[in-house]
Amino acid sequence: MQTIQQRTHGLVLDRLTVNRTGQVITLAAIGGAGFGRGIARAQDATPVDFEAPVDVINYALTLEHIENAFYMGVADFAGSDFEAIGFQAGVKDRLTAIGEHEQAHVDALTAVVKQLGGDPVKAGTYDFGYGNLQEFLQVAAALEGVGVAAYGGAAQYLIDEDDLLTAALTIHGVEARHASYLNVVNGTDPFPAAFEKPMTKAEVLEAAGPFIKSM
Amino acid sequence: MHTYHEQLLEQVVQERSRLISRRRLLAGGASLVAGAAALSLTGPARIGIAPAFAQDKAPFKNDVEVLNYALTLEHLEHAFYRDGVGMFALGMDPFGMDIATRLMAVRDHEAAHVKTLTDVVTQLGGTPVTEATYDFGYTDANSFLMTAAALENTGVSAYDGAAQYLEDKGLLTAAGSIVAIEARHASYLNMVTGTDPFPEGFEQAKTPDEILKIAGQFIKS
Repeated sequence: MQTIQQRTHGLVLDRLTVNRTGQVITLAAIGGAGFGRGIARAQDATPVDFEAPVDVINYALTLEHIENAFYMGVADFAGSDFEAIGFQAGVKDRLTAIGEHEQAHVDALTAVVKQLGGDPVKAGTYDFGYGNLQEFLQVAAALEGVGVAAYGGAAQYLIDEDDLLTAALTIHGVEARHASYLNVVNGTDPFPAAFEKPMTKAEVLEAAGPFIKSM
Repeated sequence: MHTYHEQLLEQVVQERSRLISRRRLLAGGASLVAGAAALSLTGPARIGIAPAFAQDKAPFKNDVEVLNYALTLEHLEHAFYRDGVGMFALGMDPFGMDIATRLMAVRDHEAAHVKTLTDVVTQLGGTPVTEATYDFGYTDANSFLMTAAALENTGVSAYDGAAQYLEDKGLLTAAGSIVAIEARHASYLNMVTGTDPFPEGFEQAKTPDEILKIAGQFIKS
């Protein structure tokens, strides 16, 4: 069992101690055939790719399911829990709003996959590992950071799909807004660099993998 | 090729004149800043944006024109922070951090965006647009921050609306790495101006024409 610090550092600093091969095998089973094919190529150390636009959208949907499930945990904390660690209770309202956005992203991406004739990935079961509100906020920041980087890395695969690209970017921006706010809440820099670093699919799955129990 | 930039500036100046005269007619003393903020923050979220982009012709002929469009907005943002940060005491954000310090970082980011886009346009054989002269109309710390928020929110909408016109994957990824930072800035500036850092579940992609109506208010020549 990793500590929360190990998990969040793993997400942000890519220092996960999880066995890579084991992780890849586990993740290859999720997200349907598109993911499996992508993983196979990642194992060959070739650039990660997607077979079709619907695979990119399902990849985004996989991440949105993780975020959406995570923010359902907001309800487990009371406004007084926020005040107890020095925040105004309004911070909880912001987190609730973020959760509503993630649900909207799940709904929109699910609809898009169906429109494309695909099979939308469904929510899995997750273990976010936080034990208190401060850890919850750290995981939130880490998840949002990965979300931004994932969209940033995958957008190029939608270059021939103008509407899908634009739709993905309108989600990407909101994830970046969440990430900025959550960095502030955690006392870190809301915009630590002038350019957002995109992550490949393999990097994203490695970072998100420790939270996924099953899909 | 400066053609598009010149056309853009011409439109900007015309649009600015039109907006100012209309505002005088309709609203008397309504501030430029409030107008820009309202334009950039209201309206329905839309994920299906096809109707907004049902134009007779593509607004950009090639990637260089898209990048010069982005560069035009980055110049605007950079000049705003370069000339304005330090003019007013901006105080602390709701989490106790010095706002001016944060905005110096934002300024440096915009400078990096300007430099990168200028270099890329040059590498592609284009002529990078240069800085124009601007009038941001702020008079105090509050209107300065409101203008900053309007510029950042507008920047996000502009990139989201223009990205689809890029043909090169590498350039698309680069543009994505900039727009995410603009969205991070927008979130922070919304927060310090007392509005929702993430007012909707989806950004609003805007057409170049829509952007010019907003950004044009700030461009003098």
